[in-house]
Amino acid sequence: MSIEIKGVNKMFGDFVALDDVNVSLPTGQLTALLGPSGGGKSTLLRIIAGLDAADSGTITIEGTNATTLPPQKRNVGFVFQHYAVFKHMTVAKNVAFGLEIRKRPKDEIAARVDELLKLVHLSQFAHRLPSQLSGGQRQRMALARALAVEPTVLLLDEPFGALDAKVRKELRDWLRRLHDEVHVTTVFVTHDQEEAMEVADEIVVINNGRVEQVGTPDQLYDEPANDFVMGFLGEITTLNGVMLRPHDIHVSLTPEVAGAAEGTISRLLRVGFEVRATVLTDDGEEVTVILTRTHARQLGLETGVRVWVTPAAGALTMPSLTAAAG
Amino acid sequence: MASPSSTAVANRSQVVTWVLRVLVVGYLLMLVAWPTAYVVKHTFAGGMTGIQDALADPDVVHALKLTAQIAVAAVIINTVFGVGMSLLLVRHTFIGKRALSVLIDLPLSVSPVVVGLALVLVYNGRFGWFGPFLEDHGLQIIFAKPGMIMATCFVILPLVIREVVPVLEELGDDQEQAARSLGASGRQTFLRITLPSIKWAVVYGVVLSLARALGEFGAVKVVAGNVGGETQVATVLVQQKYQNFQQETAYSVAFMLVFAAVLCLIVVALLRPQDSQK
Amino acid sequence: MASSVAVGGRSARKRRPASSSQKSGAALTRTSAFGLGVSMIWFSLLVLIPLSAIIVKATGGGWSTFESVLTNDNTRAALGLTVVASLIITAINMVMGTIIAWVLVRDRFPGKALLDLVIDIPFAMPTIVAGLVLLSLYGPQSPIGVEVSGTRWSVLLAIAFVTLPFVVRTVQPVLEELETDVEDAAASLGATRFTTFRRVILPALVPAIFAGAALSFARGISEYGALVLISGNLPRSTEVVSVRLFSFLEGGNTEAAAAVATIMLVIALLAIVTLDVVQRRVARRG
Repeated sequence: MSIEIKGVNKMFGDFVALDDVNVSLPTGQLTALLGPSGGGKSTLLRIIAGLDAADSGTITIEGTNATTLPPQKRNVGFVFQHYAVFKHMTVAKNVAFGLEIRKRPKDEIAARVDELLKLVHLSQFAHRLPSQLSGGQRQRMALARALAVEPTVLLLDEPFGALDAKVRKELRDWLRRLHDEVHVTTVFVTHDQEEAMEVADEIVVINNGRVEQVGTPDQLYDEPANDFVMGFLGEITTLNGVMLRPHDIHVSLTPEVAGAAEGTISRLLRVGFEVRATVLTDDGEEVTVILTRTHARQLGLETGVRVWVTPAAGALTMPSLTAAAG
Repeated sequence: MASPSSTAVANRSQVVTWVLRVLVVGYLLMLVAWPTAYVVKHTFAGGMTGIQDALADPDVVHALKLTAQIAVAAVIINTVFGVGMSLLLVRHTFIGKRALSVLIDLPLSVSPVVVGLALVLVYNGRFGWFGPFLEDHGLQIIFAKPGMIMATCFVILPLVIREVVPVLEELGDDQEQAARSLGASGRQTFLRITLPSIKWAVVYGVVLSLARALGEFGAVKVVAGNVGGETQVATVLVQQKYQNFQQETAYSVAFMLVFAAVLCLIVVALLRPQDSQK
Repeated sequence: MASSVAVGGRSARKRRPASSSQKSGAALTRTSAFGLGVSMIWFSLLVLIPLSAIIVKATGGGWSTFESVLTNDNTRAALGLTVVASLIITAINMVMGTIIAWVLVRDRFPGKALLDLVIDIPFAMPTIVAGLVLLSLYGPQSPIGVEVSGTRWSVLLAIAFVTLPFVVRTVQPVLEELETDVEDAAASLGATRFTTFRRVILPALVPAIFAGAALSFARGISEYGALVLISGNLPRSTEVVSVRLFSFLEGGNTEAAAAVATIMLVIALLAIVTLDVVQRRVARRG
């Protein structure tokens, strides 16, 4: 195990940021810390990097107890949400910074910077200032800078949070491919479940300072430990007091299955290839259903049409504890 | 007139614009520009002779040298203090931080004569709180250079801090944390990351404090006493020469001080655009 | 030294973990605690202890010192003149400073950059030279025939000169940030220019105007150098409180000097507190 976090607590004033967190993050993998904003995931990442200190608990990185080590002795690479580029240095100088601090020979630094800039496709910008780069380019530069020192672990704090949707998607794929090339143990924080599921080998869901569940993307999606994880990883709706995903609902125009709930379509919204229908059941429940456009057309769904809804075969359901959401 | 970006500005009636313009130019002309220009005219009424005569006076030369020494010493001390204090105020939390940041501005509102009095009460050799003890150990403060440097430091105390703090706040600590995570020590982070980023703010603060230090009058006058040419700075000399009806010399020295002040301002004005580019 | 013990005690307390506010900064490390210690000692030796010495000296004789100072006609007149003159000029600065800032930000004409430079002259110019400068135009040999030296007008003139930059320099940045969009929006909603100014722009500027006014007032009541040459220092007529204070000092009457200084400090402190309250209100609104 590469990073061992044991019994970590952190308070900001009387706000509990982390509450007895215990996690092991495996070597060589890409792990996502996923959770809503303010849930403590960034704090945990900063504690791993040594940028914040835990009130109690221990951090072990590759077998070394790092709990009291200052950040500059932990040999971690850290990538910040807002890039934290050194504005007064050129791109090459930024990347070289960690190596210069370590007093490596000049030609070695030059060679390594060259290699890294190639890796992040920024070779032609080596002598520009960061202000001349786009957001995505700056973040790639920040990544190269963090990788330059050959860190034991690479930590990324909402690395794509400040970028627009398209660039975000590109960088996400690129990070996954980069990780397959470099194989450095990587932990990244995100509040975007799609991002986490797409990129990560393993996801740690954190909410209200606690670890809710640890597992592969499939495990989390198919076997959520609780309603929070289920709700956070994808859209949910309530049918007959049971929580399930809107696309796991079977719609028919006749009462085919016993126990199906009868209702009227109150709203129909088409978004691209998918159709979102809101069914108001006779019991007064508002159920959201997602179907493909083709399927909806076959059924002839329209507002006002009477339908019967029931969980599809093999649907993941969970008893609803909280009041129905959306 | 046709400025597509700001119709409200463009649509403004010309009358009001001109009234305001004339009012402002007139006010500044009568209050500042014309009087200042008049001193220049006064100084050069007899060509360069006024300045030459003044520089031939050993008292003048001594006073100018002393002013320069005091100002440079005070500015150096205050810059170190100011940058350090700014870092503490922006980057750290400690008890009493709020109170301290309010107190830092106090010297801006204290009369220079009060500053002088305050230092005299603590450091004079006869009845001051620490003065007799320090003089027994060979350190005279009041009526000597250390006191004059302290008085100047007091007056310029907030100037560097007021320039650096907002820049540090805007800068955020992202870059510093990134440097730490890349292995830089606290000192390396400061020298390689923080200092280059606040460089212009520091220079700006230094130039402002230098202008202020060269011109300090009341506080230095009180702590310097009237020990002839020994502890007489340029500003005090201006007053003395004027009151002794040596107006030529007074105006010449005044001109040199104004020249230094305006020079400082021009330096600052030239630095500003570079600052905003950053 | 009693003082350094007190300072040491304070920094020792500070070293305890005190991360009360989120993200506003790290707790002290050993280096920064040392830096804070040195800074606080210097700040105490330079500012805090000397200023307390004034208060100790002034209150050492009980109320009687203050009483004798305040019943002295000359001192009372000097205090009155200084405060009234500073208030008048502060009021003028609030209006003129705002107008100047407005012209500097919104108007465009050749030579505006020079105007910007002129604003800073009073701040950078030695105060004694400021007095001399004003004397050259408004003194006995006035080339325009306006002689105010030795009258109360000279006090107003000198204070107006030295306090000129404050309101301008606090209002200017706020005005720069104020988008002209807002004015366009108000105009599109049918507001006249005057209404737009009064209802939309002025409210945004008020905190900055008051902040500048507090600085300007504090500077006005403490001015010394610019006044010694031009005012003539006639007791009960043109003598301001700083000059009065200086003559107490020269006469060796340190108790009276300390008492006057304490009164001035209290007035200055009130100005600072006002400034701080206003700034906090601005921060809350922004």
